[in-house]
Amino acid sequence: MFGSIPIISIIILLPLIGAIATFCLGRYEKYAKWVALSFSLAALVLSVLVAVDFMVEPDGSATGYHEGNGFFDFQYYEEYSWIQSLGIRYIVGLDGIGLPLFLLTTLLTTLSILFSWDTKHRPKAYFGLMLILEVGVLGVFSTLDYFVFYIFWEVVLIPMYFLIGVWGGPRKDYAAIKFFIYTHIASLAMLIAIMAMYFQSGINSFGMEDIWRAGLSEFGRTFQIVAFAATFFGFGVKLPMVPFHTWLPDAHVEAPTAGSVLLAGLLLKMGGYGIIRVSMPTLPEGADAMQLVMAVIAVASILYGAMVCLAQRDLKKMVAYSSISHMGFVLLGFATFTQLGIVAGVFQMFAHGLVTAVLFMMCGVVQHHAGTRMIPSLGGLSKKMPNAATMMTIGFLASLGLPGLVSFAAEFMVFASVYQTWGLWLLVPMIAVAVTAGYYLWALQRSMFGPLTENIDTSHVHDINWFEGVPVGTLIALIAIFGVFPLVVFKYIDPAVRIVQVLFAGGG
Amino acid sequence: MIPIEYWLILSSLLLAIGVYGVMTRKNAIVVLMSIEIMLNAANINLVAFSSYYSSLHPNLGTDATGQAFALFSIAIAAAEVAVGLAILLSVYRRYQTIDVDKINILRW
Amino acid sequence: MDVLQYAWLIPVFPFIAFILIALIPKRTLGWEDGWGYAIAGAGGALVLSSLVIWEVLNGHTLTEDAPRTTWLIIGDYEVTFGIWIDQLAALMLLIVSIVGTLVVVYSGGYMHAEGETRRRYYAEIMLFISVMYGLVIADNYLQMFIFWELVGLCSYLLIGFWYQKPSAASAAKRAFIVTRVGDIMFMAGIILLFKYVGNLDFAVLFDINSGTPGAPTVPSDILILSTALIFGGAIGKSAQFPLHEWLPDAMEGPTTVSALIHAATMVKAGVYLTARTYPLLVQTPESLLFVAVIGGVTALIAASCALAANDIKRVLAYSTISQLGYMILGLGAGGYLVYHLQDPNGYTAATFHMMNHAFFKALLFLCAGSVIHAVGTNDMRLMGGLRKHMKITSTTMLIGALAIAGVPPLSGFWSKDEVLAAVYHAGDLDPIFLLLWVLGIVTAFMTAFYMFRMWFMTFAGEARSTYHAHESPKIMTIPLIILAGLAITSGFALLAGDGFKAFMELPIEEYVIPGHESTFDIAVEIFTDPLTYVSLVLAVVGILLAYRMYYVPGFDRSIFARGAAGTMQRALENRLYISKFYDDFAYKVWYGFSIVCDAFDRRVIDGAVNGFSYLGANTGGVIRKAQSGNVQRYASLIIVGIVILLALLLFVVPWGGW
Repeated sequence: MFGSIPIISIIILLPLIGAIATFCLGRYEKYAKWVALSFSLAALVLSVLVAVDFMVEPDGSATGYHEGNGFFDFQYYEEYSWIQSLGIRYIVGLDGIGLPLFLLTTLLTTLSILFSWDTKHRPKAYFGLMLILEVGVLGVFSTLDYFVFYIFWEVVLIPMYFLIGVWGGPRKDYAAIKFFIYTHIASLAMLIAIMAMYFQSGINSFGMEDIWRAGLSEFGRTFQIVAFAATFFGFGVKLPMVPFHTWLPDAHVEAPTAGSVLLAGLLLKMGGYGIIRVSMPTLPEGADAMQLVMAVIAVASILYGAMVCLAQRDLKKMVAYSSISHMGFVLLGFATFTQLGIVAGVFQMFAHGLVTAVLFMMCGVVQHHAGTRMIPSLGGLSKKMPNAATMMTIGFLASLGLPGLVSFAAEFMVFASVYQTWGLWLLVPMIAVAVTAGYYLWALQRSMFGPLTENIDTSHVHDINWFEGVPVGTLIALIAIFGVFPLVVFKYIDPAVRIVQVLFAGGG
Repeated sequence: MIPIEYWLILSSLLLAIGVYGVMTRKNAIVVLMSIEIMLNAANINLVAFSSYYSSLHPNLGTDATGQAFALFSIAIAAAEVAVGLAILLSVYRRYQTIDVDKINILRW
Repeated sequence: MDVLQYAWLIPVFPFIAFILIALIPKRTLGWEDGWGYAIAGAGGALVLSSLVIWEVLNGHTLTEDAPRTTWLIIGDYEVTFGIWIDQLAALMLLIVSIVGTLVVVYSGGYMHAEGETRRRYYAEIMLFISVMYGLVIADNYLQMFIFWELVGLCSYLLIGFWYQKPSAASAAKRAFIVTRVGDIMFMAGIILLFKYVGNLDFAVLFDINSGTPGAPTVPSDILILSTALIFGGAIGKSAQFPLHEWLPDAMEGPTTVSALIHAATMVKAGVYLTARTYPLLVQTPESLLFVAVIGGVTALIAASCALAANDIKRVLAYSTISQLGYMILGLGAGGYLVYHLQDPNGYTAATFHMMNHAFFKALLFLCAGSVIHAVGTNDMRLMGGLRKHMKITSTTMLIGALAIAGVPPLSGFWSKDEVLAAVYHAGDLDPIFLLLWVLGIVTAFMTAFYMFRMWFMTFAGEARSTYHAHESPKIMTIPLIILAGLAITSGFALLAGDGFKAFMELPIEEYVIPGHESTFDIAVEIFTDPLTYVSLVLAVVGILLAYRMYYVPGFDRSIFARGAAGTMQRALENRLYISKFYDDFAYKVWYGFSIVCDAFDRRVIDGAVNGFSYLGANTGGVIRKAQSGNVQRYASLIIVGIVILLALLLFVVPWGGW
């Protein structure tokens, strides 16, 4: 459909142009949201077209097809030399792992901008930063050169730092700095590993594919273990994995709602994406040596996250911890090293992106309308906001893995793959299924059901606004659609993961 | 001919006196004067080594480089005193004191 | 046209009704706020179900070559959505369609006062009926599990229908979580099978170890484990001991919901699952024993709890648990009979009881609903004397009570007797079944007693509080009369035509097809068996005892307040402390542990993070003190530094020989 049009670069550039336009609005700042929305919407429309087009000829003749000969096969492949002396190139392309996350990025950014429709405080900066964030995340999910990958990776931090630090809650300074330093240290570990791989490979290229190819012969076992540990730490903090997770609840509690949506919906996915795109294919022996570590950390994240959720009094903090628990499923799926498990992990990332966005938006709605998110102060709100209560219930149910909604297929596949690899140890992470139901339903009962609370003034509480309802409704519709027809997403992920399997099992 | 060691001891003493003044006195003008003393200790060394060098190598004739440097240094010191006093003057205008312990805003 | 090919349309009717009720704007919905759409949805499904059942009665089934559509690909296995219509599914379709339709009709009267919230009620009921049909016609375990969870969701939503009541919201949550514990076991069982067979279709799984070429083989210990785990799902959904306490709490929902979901259909799903898994279960006597023991123990414990309950719906709830225990016991014992003797009597008896129980228990619940509708309370201690005001309700409820007590010729008599007979016969194979048979007999006695205790307390004697009772409107009494008719007649299915036993073909190849028995032979067999009279006499004794204690005035009930009897009474009133145990476990142990986790997270893990940053900041804080702003100190430090450097150069370096 796109011929020789460099469609991915266009999609990445659109929000950047939008951001510049937003910053340049001068005193017409009330139009900032319109500008931001139109640019993000344009990116969304184009990425949907890409997703449709992607499947038309998935195995060869489509635009810009790049056959990796053992490495991932990419479509819409673009390659330009940038710094020749260091072998740095700008390469972008999409495969079945990157595309769902790419699509998720444009979708969630658009919906978050819509959700923030009534932002009054410095709207130009707010919407501009969101678009810059989108640029960074889109770049991470499509770049195939380590150097550019690292640049995009770091670009993501800055707008998020300001989103938390300027539009955040009471402890925003603490949270913003903690978020920045913590994840920055993690990305430094990743940078060291990238540099090590670059020098160890002995070739003058930062290209992922080149380094992978050179690594087949150049990376010894010890090197792989050390480099894997470094990248795993770098990506795992972003994931986040226990015990390197404490930046997440603080950042979420203080971040504005749209910031939380993007943080949980997109930034966490960067960690999982890094593991599947970088760590495991390029350093298979390292991964092999660390398999048990990955699994133990994953199970610990799942169970521990769920247990901590149960004790939370702040609705949003509970949702934040639930992200830790659910991203544990991603890691657990990856750690099985099976086709099924890795597909499940990627699927779970996509599902979690949709579901957690709903949850954070609903936390924002409660905060916005009731004035507080503390569960003990809430109660009986469904009387005042029936539509919001319905949406929140659906979101919670989706998150606890109800069949017919999107997370179920992913969770079931994770469990099936865990049994294939570790047998009856399966029952350990399964405990979390009951605990998850427990904390969600208990929170629902205490905040939405029962008699109307008298702890807060509820006389002005009214139902969800249109600009909040539309994004949440859209997401819920997608959750239901992909829950009933998971095969739609599955068809993208499965072939790409088969390649991971090949990379992994045979080393090429 | 006075042996070079004597000159060196003299200049060391002058330097020590200057350092002592710089380190202990509270009045900025006295500190400035102490710095001048230290500077002169260096000048003495320059002149002393200049003549010592000539005495070691009589076939080279008289080398006045060190003495020229000393003169140069004295001229610089004069300029420096002028600048230093100007600073002290403006400090005094700002703080109504030239006690160096009171002028400590350049800290954490 | 083959009707069976279109059986997948059955759930579609109520689902469309659900969508319409949920999405049509409030103003234009009208028609009693969705009742009409609900009737249409349930009715459409009823009609199609009837056609399907008729086909099955004529000997057609649709199992392995049914139409199916791919849902997901797991590894090399395509998860499909298909349909599987055999006799068991047809039986379940019969139950769901009849009870579902009647309950929807009845709701038109019962929920009349609810106003606008009726819309939510009808939407959720339609969703439930739809997914329940989906569960029944599923052709693989994963599809079944999906609908299994969805009926649990509907149960959650409907128990919490009056969510403003804290007790209702709490009960809904509890029901969902407790059944989810069972669901986890179910899922684990499925995954176990999947690993060994690579497939979840019934068509493939039921061939396991059958010896036919290409049939998958599974080691017997894995088969035992997986069947036991799958049965774990039934323990949760069918409220079997020790996960049974959610069902009495679930009575917080509207009575119609209790009748439909928590008596007739959803709680039967566990029994249905166990029966569905029979081709696997009968290969594993260990699992069967487990099933039977759970069933027997549940029957007794629940029946004893029902003895002391004062809430009319709780009596019925415990009674439901107890009867479900019967069915499970029958299936366990029946499996033993199949395993050793290729005798399907236990299986047919349990499924027969499943059908009969659905009718008379739905009847009892709807009668209770009618009473509550009239009186406005659930507490039987505040009722009494209602017979005078509510002729139809009291009569139909009497029929239901007689049926469940096992008085011939009502339906409960036939099926309960068959179940107990099967258990007794299994006693020849393993003496533990004799013990279970005793439990069953005692339960039968208790059942007769508490049912008539309930009936006498509600309808007989004088009113114990002031109320203006009146008979319910026709829209409610007509379903009662229909169900009463079914409660009277459904037992004769055992005798009609070829008989129920011949109809309920086991999906196993090598069992002995029961020879054609005439109606007369079956009847003779039943009435010449002394076991029949044992249970019959116990039922009559139970009824008479209830009559003596709760009808004839002057019985001194204070003996239940003292001594051993008093302890017993208090234990029963407190539901044998099982509920309290769960509450303590959840709120004290588990929640306490989570508080500890949270504190650990903030203090230790986050403490370490903050400790690091504090360390960094503090070191800087200490060092910056050197930056005093005192120029003289800087100068001193410079000089000290120079001296030290000089000293190093002059003395240390030469000594070190560098």
